Amino acid sequence: MKRVKILAWVVGIIIWLAIGFLIARGPQPELVVPGEKLWQVGPLKITNTLFTAWISMIIIIVIAYFGTRSMKLLPTGFQNFIEAGFSYVFDQIVEIAGDKNGRRFFTLTATIFFFICIANWIALLPVFNAIGITEDVGHEVFHELSSSDPDKLKLADNGTYEEDHKFAGTKLDSAGGAFVIKNGAKSLDFTVNPGETPAQAADRYYVFLAEKFADFELPEGASVEQPQDASTVKAAADALKADPDAPQLMTSGGEHGIESPGLGETITGVDFSNSQRFGTVIPLFRSAFADVSNTLAIAIVSFIMVEFWGIQSLGIGYLRKFFDFSSPINFFVGFLELISEFVRIISFTFRLFGNLFGGEVLIVMITYIVPFLLVDIVYGMELFFGFIQAAIFALLTLVFAVMATESHGEEGHAEGSDDHRAPEPGASGLPQGAAQVH
Amino acid sequence: MTRWVAPAAYLLGIGWYIAICILLGVFIGRWVDEATGLKPTFTLIGIVLGLLVAVIGGARMVLRVTRRFGGDTWKE
Repeated sequence: MKRVKILAWVVGIIIWLAIGFLIARGPQPELVVPGEKLWQVGPLKITNTLFTAWISMIIIIVIAYFGTRSMKLLPTGFQNFIEAGFSYVFDQIVEIAGDKNGRRFFTLTATIFFFICIANWIALLPVFNAIGITEDVGHEVFHELSSSDPDKLKLADNGTYEEDHKFAGTKLDSAGGAFVIKNGAKSLDFTVNPGETPAQAADRYYVFLAEKFADFELPEGASVEQPQDASTVKAAADALKADPDAPQLMTSGGEHGIESPGLGETITGVDFSNSQRFGTVIPLFRSAFADVSNTLAIAIVSFIMVEFWGIQSLGIGYLRKFFDFSSPINFFVGFLELISEFVRIISFTFRLFGNLFGGEVLIVMITYIVPFLLVDIVYGMELFFGFIQAAIFALLTLVFAVMATESHGEEGHAEGSDDHRAPEPGASGLPQGAAQVH
Repeated sequence: MTRWVAPAAYLLGIGWYIAICILLGVFIGRWVDEATGLKPTFTLIGIVLGLLVAVIGGARMVLRVTRRFGGDTWKE
């Protein structure tokens, strides 16, 4: 009987997974590492990861405001909840850093913890990586190719492109600023190769459009990536003209023109008005710390504050740890200390980034491949990792701060002997066994 | 909880330290090679120096943890 039950469960789960795999699969994800630009305010690019970081800040401010609006001596309800959370974090910090230092380090450490934790947790909401604003890639490509002063494609002196650039998008029904849910179409790439003139690249672009939007078939063995001869470009242009649902090449109007060696006439624009667009969806929300810039920012704040606390506690003597000219050995040791100090920024940055970007990719990929059941497990895991990474970041900042504020001179008598272990936390504030330190 | 937090924090950093020291040596060596045109020389020197700094620094860090938290103080 028991066996039958287990078998029924296994079969049920497999069927459930199969249904998800066959019917409910999500869109094919495009993985983008840097945060994508949503808006530009002067020189400041507002990326979706920055935008999400601001949202998490607003959430924290709102929670703090409502949690402390009507403070009572005997906390109830929401205030009670907030106070419990805070006092737990506070107790942990004081236990590690001692009473005096604990209070000093609490503000930054707890801010880092709550900020990272909230940012990681809201990134698990379903709107993340799903809705976004659209961008018209098709027009951008033509604009870049035909412009005498291109923004993304740098022209060398001999009139060819210096570097390659990939324009990626999908077929969209509308493009140009509207909010849409990320669609499930296959992504299309058009790559401009280095050493190509704008006219050659434009000819390839027409062939690319004909192939993707008008069912134009390239001759055997040819590909869009290779230079196109005049007859292929001509055939592609004819295919576009013949298909009313395909983008049309314009020979008049438009801002700039680009002379096509293949067609023998000047194309002034591509008209997408009767066809699907070549566009892309930029997600409005993306996990804030799946972006190196944001993790690096917090790592730098943590680094600067640790050094500041070190100098505040020990004065200029703090720097003697790194620049010790008393003997070559000490100088080398100081050099090692200095390196390990800077390595900390890198390790802070990439530990958080790696974990959260990996989590984001995992969720997106699993949603694409097996939408049911497995996703829930991954979500639960990410909930846990979001918390753990926030705790690790905050605790490491705290421990490094404690280390930095300890006097270097105590090193001598800490070595080797166990009986100096004072029962009360020493000046360093580390509890018991950790009290005498270098 | 706090008894294992401090040693754990020390140990968490060591792996990163070793990895980054080696990588840094390689990349700085490569960069100097590109600048001077002496292709493999400085890359090799960078690898050796990076390994040296990684091993000595890593050993120092491990020794510090064992010296500071060693014995039975944080076992419980």
